[in-house]
Amino acid sequence: MSRVGARVIVCAALVVAVGGCHHPVFGLTTSNDNDATALASALSRRQLPESPMPLGATHQPRAYVAVQGGARAIVAFELAAGKPAWRVDADVQSRIAVGGDFIVELEGKQLVARDQARGAVRWKLAGAGTLIGTAADRDRAYAVWHDGSHYEIAAYDGASGGKLWAADAEGALGAPAAQGGLVYVPFFAQWLSILDGKTGAPLARLRGIDEQISMLHTTSQAAYFGSKQGVFRLDARSASGTRAGGTYAQLKIPPQLDRTSYGVDSYDPVQLAYTAADRARVLLRSEATDAAGPMRLAGDGYAIHYFRYVFGFGAGGELRWAYSHPRVELVSTEHTGYVIVGVAANGDVVALEPQTGAVRFRGSLGTGADHVLGATFDADGWSPSSQSEPIETVAALVGITRDHDARFDRVKELAVQALAKLPGAEVTKELLGVLADPRAPQKLKDTVVELLVARKDPSSLPVLTAQLAVHTDYLLRTEPDALGPVAKAIAGLAGAPLDPKQVADALVALQSHLDAPATATPDLVLVIAAMSAIGGGAERSALGSHLLLYHADDDLGNDPSWGPAIVRALDKHGGPGEHELLRYVAEDPRTQPALAAAIRDGLPAR
Amino acid sequence: MTRRRLRGGWVLGLALCSGLGGPAAAAPAGKRPPPAPAAPKVKVKVPGAEEIAGYATALAGTDVEAAAKAADALGALDLPAAHDALLDGLAMGLPATVAAPALTALAVHPAPPDVAALIRYVGHHNLNVRAAALTALATYADPAAHAAVINGLHDAAGLVRGAAAAAAAKGRIRSAIEPLFQLLGRGEEPAARALAALADPDLVAKIADQLGKVPDAALAQCLGYILKRADFGPDPARVEVVRAIAKIQDPAAIAALTDYIDVTPKNPPRPSRGEAERLVEARLGGGK
Repeated sequence: MSRVGARVIVCAALVVAVGGCHHPVFGLTTSNDNDATALASALSRRQLPESPMPLGATHQPRAYVAVQGGARAIVAFELAAGKPAWRVDADVQSRIAVGGDFIVELEGKQLVARDQARGAVRWKLAGAGTLIGTAADRDRAYAVWHDGSHYEIAAYDGASGGKLWAADAEGALGAPAAQGGLVYVPFFAQWLSILDGKTGAPLARLRGIDEQISMLHTTSQAAYFGSKQGVFRLDARSASGTRAGGTYAQLKIPPQLDRTSYGVDSYDPVQLAYTAADRARVLLRSEATDAAGPMRLAGDGYAIHYFRYVFGFGAGGELRWAYSHPRVELVSTEHTGYVIVGVAANGDVVALEPQTGAVRFRGSLGTGADHVLGATFDADGWSPSSQSEPIETVAALVGITRDHDARFDRVKELAVQALAKLPGAEVTKELLGVLADPRAPQKLKDTVVELLVARKDPSSLPVLTAQLAVHTDYLLRTEPDALGPVAKAIAGLAGAPLDPKQVADALVALQSHLDAPATATPDLVLVIAAMSAIGGGAERSALGSHLLLYHADDDLGNDPSWGPAIVRALDKHGGPGEHELLRYVAEDPRTQPALAAAIRDGLPAR
Repeated sequence: MTRRRLRGGWVLGLALCSGLGGPAAAAPAGKRPPPAPAAPKVKVKVPGAEEIAGYATALAGTDVEAAAKAADALGALDLPAAHDALLDGLAMGLPATVAAPALTALAVHPAPPDVAALIRYVGHHNLNVRAAALTALATYADPAAHAAVINGLHDAAGLVRGAAAAAAAKGRIRSAIEPLFQLLGRGEEPAARALAALADPDLVAKIADQLGKVPDAALAQCLGYILKRADFGPDPARVEVVRAIAKIQDPAAIAALTDYIDVTPKNPPRPSRGEAERLVEARLGGGK
């Protein structure tokens, strides 16, 4: 037996003997960090279910929801039955921790335990200072308290509230988590102490060597820790203390979802309670493995809850699906292993299939006008039996792009990027809809233009052509919608297999803008380029006529962009006739100098 | 490379046609029908080919003032060669300051092939050129010309809309009436003038019905223009116009009636003038 192991046993014996005494569990030098043997031993003591299941005594999936109407209250919602079990007034000031047959949370200034059957108060007590966080397992509640420079974790009997043990810390403790008889306590943002929940005895301690430990999250079968940068699955390999040696994942979080985190920041006093931080969260499950290597994500993917939206990603970061919750934000979400369950601010409850985003359950807390503050789910393993609704990823992405909430402008960029990767004319139509939306931010429109150009989807041509139908019209009070971007997108189809009839229609539509007096020169240049890109020669006569019409024009003939554009276009598919025309124009003394120079530059002597 | 050679190739086709299925695409580039044989009563000097060629050269020259004068001169000549020289110049492209007089000159002796050339210029970026093309198109009965004029009523530039309205009136383009009403609704004076020019008793009734739907001043202006038309009548129809104006409260109504009184002789007495006098007196005299 190692010296540390012996010390642990002695300490544990002392704890049992004195019951509830404070002992120096936490300290910079009081533990042997990253001891693989101690860690394996500690993890082997966990009493975990064979399959994922709720911790509550009835093992029925539930959400415990903090709501605010006139006063604050807790609603226990039976997910399987789709209805509330009870509602009690409670001045909830913290997250709700779920134990075996009780829940525990801060109410006012007191730690209060309520029974799960009816929500009645089972016990309440004043703590040793300010609450940092709570946790619970089948039999006990745990709380970390802070008073001045003093931190303490204490364990309480779930049935009576009697204090079982407590441990002081020489530095900052974070909010704890409990699982299968163990208590996980972050310390000084660098360590994760693993204690015996029954005695408070320290069993092992992990030190993050290349990553902070500021996040903790447990399910019925797995525990995760990490930071804003990434997430470890707690297993024997965690003893390495490193990303490379542990079961670790650093997921691709799109920059547009930059507020996303892997879990509650254990050290943030604000996150003691439910906050907006809960609305930007990675949702994942991983597979247990003894093999070395990075974390293996269940379903080979993960999801991100971001306010009103949930996005599903493949392990490589590619967007698989999107869900947009109607009207209001989802305030809390959880991955049960089979669905992603969420509660919205208005009391909607929704469950999504993690692989596809299909809605598998819809319900409501029935709280009327209550505003949901947050929720804790005890729903591990819940898989609703109701039939899935159709998957509406395109509709969700479109809904996101059309959301006028300025807070989500960057999310809209993500949505249009995802949309643009999908084929089909309908998608093009939706992207064009963004350009036509006067309330859409300019940056988003710029992104859409780039995406339309890069899209190169032949089936989009009729939609783009239809967009060209609108002209400047004084009587109809119309202006072309995004003429330049549409022309650019059509030009992007150069070389794509296009239907000849659709090309002919597009050329007619483009020529209507070529010949329109209101077409501004920058757009005109793009129209010329588009005609040249797809015309295959059919555009030559129209462009030749256009060149002759304006070659002596003081304005257009001297424009530095128009001249090269029309010369390039005529040269591209031009035969001897077009080159003859260009040479004639270059030699015509009336031709504006800029145009003549463009021809000389663009049409070397042949 | 010469213009003549170039024109002899495909350029003539593309220049006269709009290229991609436009209405003029199939228009033949033929010449005007020969003028009816004139009786050789008076000897006039017929310009020779050299003189026309000189004008044509000037039209295609860099001196825009001389080119504009050449356009005028060619337009004045009722000769196919002169007309062709104008078409040729327009086909090859002219500076805006030359294009406008050339378009006007072309319509002095209209011929069917002109329409395609004119339509090519109604989309020109220079609004004076567009206005000139629309004005010229008024001379042609071709439906394509009418369609272009109506399209001009939708133009973003007021000057061009005004030219289109005048062209609609001059060309008696009845299908322009509806868009002209829309322009009247926006208070546009050229539309008032054009509607007045097109008005027959039926249209007068429709115009009078616009009370409350279009600005009072524009309506009064329109009805006033009708009253001043020498060809509008008989007088009972004018009386109806006067009564329609009387319903308009805007001071423009009094101005329209006063104008009518001023330009109409007292004798022989016209009931419409008398009615207008009574109305003006009543309005200005406070109804005493």
